[in-house]
Amino acid sequence: MPKKTQTETVTLTIDGKTVTVPKGTVAVDAAKTVGIDIPVFCYHEKLGPFGCCRMCLVEVEKMPKLATACTQAVGQDMVIKTDSPKAVKGRQGVLEFTLLNHPLDCPVCDKGGECPLQDNTFEHGPDLTRTEFTRYNRDKAVPLSPVVTIDRERCIACQRCTRYSDIVEQETALVMVNRGFQNRVQTFQDRPYDTRFSGNVVDICPVGALTNTTYRFKSRIWDLDNAETLCAHCGVNCNIVVGVRSNEFMRVQAKSGENSQANDAVDDGWICDKGRFGYGFVESSNRVLKCRNGKGDTLEANDALGQAATQLKKITDEHGPQSVGFIGSPYGTNEELYLYQKLFRQQLGTNNIDFKTYRQTPGLPVEHYDVGDIETSDMVLLIASDPTEEAPVLDLRIKKSVSFFDVKLAVLNDQKTDMDKPAASSLRYNVGSEAEVLSALIEALNDKPVRGLEKTAGIAPKQIKDLAATIQGSGKVCVIYNPAALTGSASDRILELLQTIGGLPDKQCGAIPVAPGTNAVGALDMGAHPNFYPGGLALSDSEKIKTLWGDEAPLQPGLSALEMIQKAASGELKGLVVFRANPVVDFPGGPTVAEALKKLDYLVVHDMLETETTQLANLVLASNGPGYDDGTTTNIGGRVQFRKRSLVREDHPPDWVLISRMIRALDPEAPSYKNSFGVTDEISQKVPGYEAINKNAIKGMGMPRKGSACSEVQGNGAPAAEKSENGALRLRVANYLFAHDKILDASSPLSHHFKSSTVYLNAEDAKALGIETGDEVKVVSGDAEVSAEAEVSDRCNPGAALVPRVSDEQGLMALVGDPDAAVWVQIKK
Amino acid sequence: MFAFSETSEKEIEKQLVKYPPERKKSAILALLRIAQQQNGYVSAEAMEEIGRRLDLSPAYVESVCSFYTMYYTRPVGKYVIMFCINVSCHLLDCDNLLEHTAKKLNIQVGETTADKMFTLLREECLAECSRAPVMRINNDYHVNLTPQKIDQILDSLK
Amino acid sequence: MTQLLFKHINVEGLANIDVYEKHGGYETLKKALEQKPEEILETVKASGLRGRGGAGFPTGLKWSFLAKDVFPRYLVCNADESEPGTCKDRELLLKNPHLLIEGMILCAYACRVEIGYNYIRGEFYDLCEIFEKALEEAYERGYLGKNILRSEFNLDIHTHLGAGAYICGEESALLNSLEGMRGEPRLKPPFPAVEGLYGKPTVVNNVETLCAVVPVVEGGAEAYAALGTEKSKGTKLVSVSGHVRNPGNFEVVLGTPTSEIIEMAGGMREGRKLKAFIPGGSSVPMLPAGKVDTPYDYESLQAAGSMLGSGALIVMDDSANVVKETLRIASFYMHESCGKCTPCREGTRWLHQILGEIESGRGKDENIELLQDISDNMSFKCFCPLGDAAIAPVLSGIANFREDYEELLSQAKAGAAAE
Ligand SMILES: Cc1cc2nc3c(=O)[nH]c(=O)nc-3n(C[C@H](O)[C@H](O)[C@H](O)COP(=O)(O)O)c2cc1C
Ligand code: SF4
Ligand code: SF4
Ligand code: SF4
Ligand code: FES
Repeated sequence: MPKKTQTETVTLTIDGKTVTVPKGTVAVDAAKTVGIDIPVFCYHEKLGPFGCCRMCLVEVEKMPKLATACTQAVGQDMVIKTDSPKAVKGRQGVLEFTLLNHPLDCPVCDKGGECPLQDNTFEHGPDLTRTEFTRYNRDKAVPLSPVVTIDRERCIACQRCTRYSDIVEQETALVMVNRGFQNRVQTFQDRPYDTRFSGNVVDICPVGALTNTTYRFKSRIWDLDNAETLCAHCGVNCNIVVGVRSNEFMRVQAKSGENSQANDAVDDGWICDKGRFGYGFVESSNRVLKCRNGKGDTLEANDALGQAATQLKKITDEHGPQSVGFIGSPYGTNEELYLYQKLFRQQLGTNNIDFKTYRQTPGLPVEHYDVGDIETSDMVLLIASDPTEEAPVLDLRIKKSVSFFDVKLAVLNDQKTDMDKPAASSLRYNVGSEAEVLSALIEALNDKPVRGLEKTAGIAPKQIKDLAATIQGSGKVCVIYNPAALTGSASDRILELLQTIGGLPDKQCGAIPVAPGTNAVGALDMGAHPNFYPGGLALSDSEKIKTLWGDEAPLQPGLSALEMIQKAASGELKGLVVFRANPVVDFPGGPTVAEALKKLDYLVVHDMLETETTQLANLVLASNGPGYDDGTTTNIGGRVQFRKRSLVREDHPPDWVLISRMIRALDPEAPSYKNSFGVTDEISQKVPGYEAINKNAIKGMGMPRKGSACSEVQGNGAPAAEKSENGALRLRVANYLFAHDKILDASSPLSHHFKSSTVYLNAEDAKALGIETGDEVKVVSGDAEVSAEAEVSDRCNPGAALVPRVSDEQGLMALVGDPDAAVWVQIKK
Repeated sequence: MFAFSETSEKEIEKQLVKYPPERKKSAILALLRIAQQQNGYVSAEAMEEIGRRLDLSPAYVESVCSFYTMYYTRPVGKYVIMFCINVSCHLLDCDNLLEHTAKKLNIQVGETTADKMFTLLREECLAECSRAPVMRINNDYHVNLTPQKIDQILDSLK
Repeated sequence: MTQLLFKHINVEGLANIDVYEKHGGYETLKKALEQKPEEILETVKASGLRGRGGAGFPTGLKWSFLAKDVFPRYLVCNADESEPGTCKDRELLLKNPHLLIEGMILCAYACRVEIGYNYIRGEFYDLCEIFEKALEEAYERGYLGKNILRSEFNLDIHTHLGAGAYICGEESALLNSLEGMRGEPRLKPPFPAVEGLYGKPTVVNNVETLCAVVPVVEGGAEAYAALGTEKSKGTKLVSVSGHVRNPGNFEVVLGTPTSEIIEMAGGMREGRKLKAFIPGGSSVPMLPAGKVDTPYDYESLQAAGSMLGSGALIVMDDSANVVKETLRIASFYMHESCGKCTPCREGTRWLHQILGEIESGRGKDENIELLQDISDNMSFKCFCPLGDAAIAPVLSGIANFREDYEELLSQAKAGAAAE
């Protein structure tokens, strides 16, 4: 595992070429810098030197034995020869051993064409095999899980996959059993290998022993067109390579040293299984391929967008600008969201623009940290966040930082998560008490006495004080939190906490807000907010707004997404555009949302998949979405990257074109863009913080935009703890990565991960209610009820019922009213 | 379901104190041995239990368990005969002695007698080479073997 | 005959602390605690004592390599004794466990170690019980625990049983095994003295080495260094096995001719002639009868084309067939290869396959060359020395006893012709 930055360098010679590299570099990597490729199997830069395959043997002057270049740290004046007869014979011998029990499968092997073993055999291999014995008998292709196949016959025991499971995933789910030539890659008792990150082993296996089951035999490598692009699921925005054949989706790989260069600033070369196996939606039978009106008549895209624009304009003409609104989503690109807010602000004159149902304002009182900052921090404070389910690759980064860079992890959460394991300390507060806990922590950091909060928050003042002391004692603190999991005034308290930490003496502090969705940061930046223009410009900043957006720019506060639903219900809102969101299922209120939307005069739904919401639309605009459209997204670390399309649709314009045409329909003077970067360029001019962002600047690794400072932090209102009435429990909606929704539909290769509805109860409450694990229960709030199976566990403190959102069908959001207020539920058998 | 017996629990306690608390993984070999002493072999359930005790994944426990030859993952006879076949014993005709033993027990090497009394295994050097031929039965060494001596030993165990 | 380790070995009940003390046990420790740790270290260095586990590395030098000022440090005794032919550590542990304890305490004191482990191979369950009993006695008498004999020096010793793996005798694999992992060797450097057990500086020594520390400290460096040859000081336990009349463990002064050691073991059996001998356990090259007068010490055996190794003298008379014995040994290495590295994992199996063919009369002439080339492709290319050990009997067998191979090969030809 590479340690923190090394500045000292050494100079040496490799095959006559002079090389200068940081001290501690291994010979393989040093050689790479001058274009010398020493063959490797077991070495992987992210897994560290191991030295088991012996493929990389080289001669080092003054050393009696050949050395393995993957473990040999280079030294000053070292002379390394990769091509001496001794080295060549050594490697040939190793290759012969490697092939001894390896089948000659290349013509039917999925790895063929990108297989290090095949490549090395061509280049360094013996001409003939000298063995006359039958190969050691191992099993051919068997499922390791529904998505990964193992062909043990082909395994060369490099231990990359098992080391990955140990070092990176840190689950030791995949291990080596037995020893000697009988060793075997295996899970416990051959149970499925179904971690969140299992697919990465396919990328790193240097032979065709581990393959992607969904890709097996689908295509030959050389027939693939590979697009380096971004994952469009969560906010990490991992770099992926999408393989396409004749405009047909074939597979997803992580962008890594294996196929290109890993983006260490984002994902370290790993992706999660949702990123790898969760792309069936690009070819789903549920896609919206054509625009249509409410009667179901197909419309040409241009006609449809024209109708939408003029109809919305007509409504504002009749009922004023406050009568229309836009509900976007954190799944849109910066370009799409930017153009939509422009349409609504400039052409329709309203600030009724939003993309979320939780409270969050743009900007931070401290630096917006990049994901890489986690590794260089002394402490990570993780608040109300469950990375494993919400932003999986972040989970890997945190674990890596704890294990290899001695980063101290402190967890503050109302539920048990996988992050408790690497955490040095882990506090579990009562569901709903986060504002109180954060206030207490702020007080402790200010060296004020901490009030007793055992009863209300389930945490002892001492624990808060200890946590404060750890923060005070750490030089660089990175706070990671999920804004969507903070209720009530906690969304203000978190900013106050950041301000407090940032204000401590000798402190570096930054934050990474990890909200749901691909581009929640970008959405805020693009002004998808009723009170903020792009770049975090508050409405009160009228001077700047006028300079950028003209004198006509609306300054009246807009409606939040939930207010828009309310106003739709009350009839005040007449026209609404919903862009790639499904409020009927995902918004608090569930079915009541549908009722409200039905009252609208004009509902436009712009989406790529049919949803409960498209069913209600007066006009459906087909969206291409990820896979088909270019655009940029801004990840949780504030890094802007380009999400290139991998598939082409000839018969339908990209979303950014569609939206810009709506603008032009109302303002023929408005610009038209040559490509999506044309919009990006406009963003760089109009969105503070994005000045440096352009096509070239974000090539490769992407580039962090400048985060905005936050407007004043709301004052210190001591939160009043809400009390439970007649034994009701406070509902906590948790996240589950593989929720069965429109994106992961029934045909998804990940469907084995789908879960049935479960309510987690603390033993104390379960006992009082007479409920045991496995009981079928109803979770009831008012008129709404959700069926679930009870599980008694310590996942949350007493007094709460925790229900992960596992499917659209579950109808969980029906239980929730105002997301800011406590939701009390009864558990009934 | 697998559960450690009271005796085993006491033994586990004795083992765990040997290692720094944050290094309790070190006790895995001991716990596997204790599980085997208790049940005759290490079942999958036992591996899971050991994993829970030591904060290790069950796969990890299996991975370690399978590396060492002294753990049995299937039931074996009451007496396990481990017959050294390495060079010093080989020079003194252990092959014939092994065959003799197998015949006497009426099983092949690697098998267990029908009455579950004996399992016969080949073993690598047992470090009693100057008293070859050698075998181990459970924890006891038997040296300078002859056919007669083997007969005697086996009869005494019946 | 100078007997240092085996002086009292056959005293009845020596494993009991009273008996051990009656024969001077723990007296050396008492005197040593009056000296400074560095002085003890100097003595061991000056004595010329070399590791008895196989590699023969100077013991005092190894101790002095411990990373400076890094604590805690550990001492690990290597009681994994698994090298075919070797059974000396077993005898020491069985009959004289207190000698090892005393040696471990001396080492720990010299190296400022406060925790020691005795890694005992799993098959030695009986010895582990004996050793634990001896530890108990030593604790009771205040030789172990806190403030040993009021010297303010603390030491705890624990046992750790292995579970059947030859490779765990290799020190870094042993440390992995002690840490609760698969016994695969570790990358070196870092060496155990720098990053050993739990990443801390660690001394790993063989049972016999640690036992020898007692007479070294007792008699002083000079007296010890007066024994033996220039590069091989003191005495060595030799396990004699195979075709001799009275096999057994013998303590000899280093430099004693090998033939004399065979005589100590009663010489060759009636009517048999010496054919071959392996001087240092299965991992070293076998030598022909003609070299039987080679002085038994590190440098002479090396000059003769072999090694002293662990001190296991395996004797074969003219009834033995070298191919058959090599096949046995090859099967051992195949079975014990941990499988981590490719040349050893695949090579040991391939060698075994080919030797099997030859032995069973199905060999081909070109097999000999192939065996040699496979060995060459393994030689110094494996991750740990086990791979090199595996080829030693093959190459030396072919070099010195080619006629045994050729005989089997010509039988094969005859057989093929007859068919
Ligand atoms: C494959 C292999 C097996 C070994 N087995 C043993 C052993 O059983 N006992 C032992 O003391 N040393 C053994 N060694 C040597 C150890 O690695 C190490 O050198 C020794 O314990 C150091 O102690 P010493 O310096 O006192 O000899 C083995 C080495 C190898 C490569
Ligand atoms: S399955 Fe692949 S990655 Fe895993 S050990 Fe085998 S060859 Fe290496
Ligand atoms: S962590 Fe997020 S961005 Fe990365 S692959 Fe998984 S879902 Fe996609
Ligand atoms: S040489 Fe390689 S395979 Fe053989 S024991 Fe050593 S590490 Fe294991
Ligand atoms: S790549 Fe160097 S040993 Fe495997």
